[in-house]
Amino acid sequence: MNTPVVEIKGLKKTFRDFWLRPVAEAVRGIDLTVEKGDVFGLLGPNGSGKSTTIKLMLGLLAPSGGTVRLFGQPPRSRAARARLGYLPELSYLHPFLTARETLLYYAGLSGMGGTAAKRRTNALLEQVGLASVANRAVGGFSKGMARRVALAAALVAEPELLILDEPTSGLDPIGTRDVKELIRSLASKGVTVVMTSHLLGDTEDVCSRIAILSKGLVAACGRTEELLTRKQDARFTVAGLDEAEAKAFAADAAARLGKEVSFDHPRVPLEDFFAETVGEAR
Amino acid sequence: MRRFLALARSAALEALAEPLSAVLFLVALLTVPLLPVFHCHQFGDPARLPRECGFSALLVFGLVFATSSAVRVIGGELASGTAAAALARAVPRPLFFCAKIAGVLLAFAVFAVAVSSATLVSVAVAEAGEIQAVAHGGSRAWIPGLAVAVIGPLAGFAIAAAANRFFRARFCVGAGIALVAAQMPALALVVVLSPVDMAWNMLPALGVLALGCGVFIILAGALAVCLPPAVVTTGIVLSVLSSFVWPVRAIVPDMQNFWLVDAFAGGGMPSAGRLCTALAAGLMLSAFWMVAGSILLERREIP
Repeated sequence: MNTPVVEIKGLKKTFRDFWLRPVAEAVRGIDLTVEKGDVFGLLGPNGSGKSTTIKLMLGLLAPSGGTVRLFGQPPRSRAARARLGYLPELSYLHPFLTARETLLYYAGLSGMGGTAAKRRTNALLEQVGLASVANRAVGGFSKGMARRVALAAALVAEPELLILDEPTSGLDPIGTRDVKELIRSLASKGVTVVMTSHLLGDTEDVCSRIAILSKGLVAACGRTEELLTRKQDARFTVAGLDEAEAKAFAADAAARLGKEVSFDHPRVPLEDFFAETVGEAR
Repeated sequence: MRRFLALARSAALEALAEPLSAVLFLVALLTVPLLPVFHCHQFGDPARLPRECGFSALLVFGLVFATSSAVRVIGGELASGTAAAALARAVPRPLFFCAKIAGVLLAFAVFAVAVSSATLVSVAVAEAGEIQAVAHGGSRAWIPGLAVAVIGPLAGFAIAAAANRFFRARFCVGAGIALVAAQMPALALVVVLSPVDMAWNMLPALGVLALGCGVFIILAGALAVCLPPAVVTTGIVLSVLSSFVWPVRAIVPDMQNFWLVDAFAGGGMPSAGRLCTALAAGLMLSAFWMVAGSILLERREIP
């Protein structure tokens, strides 16, 4: 039996003040399992415990109860952390380092050095579209550019588990689309991704499984397709049907089935429309 | 080792990239060599004022540089999230702490070398009574050394500005390195032209003061793990000014009544015993705060 990439059992986290009095119960007993190759979305409103759960997974916070295992090991173990990449919610970067130096820094932290680190850095700079500004200090970058650097830094050690906290935050629609394509491409290569996002559309597009957190508990968890599909309803798309023909078709179907039938015209997702428009303008 | 080097390098750059560091470098390196020009009193010992000023510059500016850099590199990174981004990787926390401290110590070493060099130049110039000699038509052999010592820092800034303008090099880091590099020709000129012996016997004393600042770097870094940066900086500066930090008095005592300074009066120098005691105290405190900082960081939660 394969070991889950992430296994969380009865996880609790209570923040305490200086006098050890409980201040906030951020996570109140979470059970989650993420298997290899999953793109797992952690959703929830502000204060639901998403970021706290991520930090518990990374070993940055100590749990008040329950356990977290990464690749079957505690999150503070070096062996587990050597196999993961992390993109924080805000792109915490050293402003005085250039984009290239930042990636070399993170390559160094992952134990890479010399030619391998330089080659990987150059490849990532190309991949995130920052090769032309590789020698500029990241302190002068826009939020979107800094996000791309942080994303490249998360990928520098070719992780098996990628933890992304709001990966598309600060990115324009084209950048958002690139990131989503990157996540899909990584997943197809067997990389496990755990991500949080406030943008439900982005999560729906890329996540194979989701968990919705509310007040520190898992309110819903499962395969995205299963959770969102209403199997008791059916929707048809017929190409080349105008308004009058569609109405007639709906009336005919309603009479035949003895059930209410509605129809609408499909819409192009705004993201696709934007990308096409900007692409044409360019 | 690669992890250690990556962390130490970023810490050294962070310490030098701060504008405050460049200002401290410049002020210290202009003040010390200029003293022989401006001083009006010799107290019967022409080298005393530049010597004590050199000690003071290394100690006072060094403490400000040491404390602010260590607090920024450790506390600032913990507060800003760059530490979390690093510690989420396979970086042991004690390694993170020790490497960051090593980086700040390296940056401080650059400062200490520059100030020590400026002090040697200044003392040599004063001892030869060069300014008085020139005023009375005497030898001008000292002018090049003094001129380079004074012009050097300004030239260093100009070089750093040009590198920033044309090659996008980091200005403050470039200025720090250029200021140190500019000291070396001045020292070389003075060594070659000096009609009196160089005061090399000051080097152990300057080393002890640098060691004292080094202890403060580690102390400030350890405290910054668990206290807000502003609290650590204010606390340490107030403690030093008040001489309340009893454990480090052995090496950084009250400058008004300081064995290290007093020992040089009348051409003497500190005894080997006192220097060894100071060295032992400094190393012991360094080791203690290094271990304490590592343990504090190991136990700390990083929200």
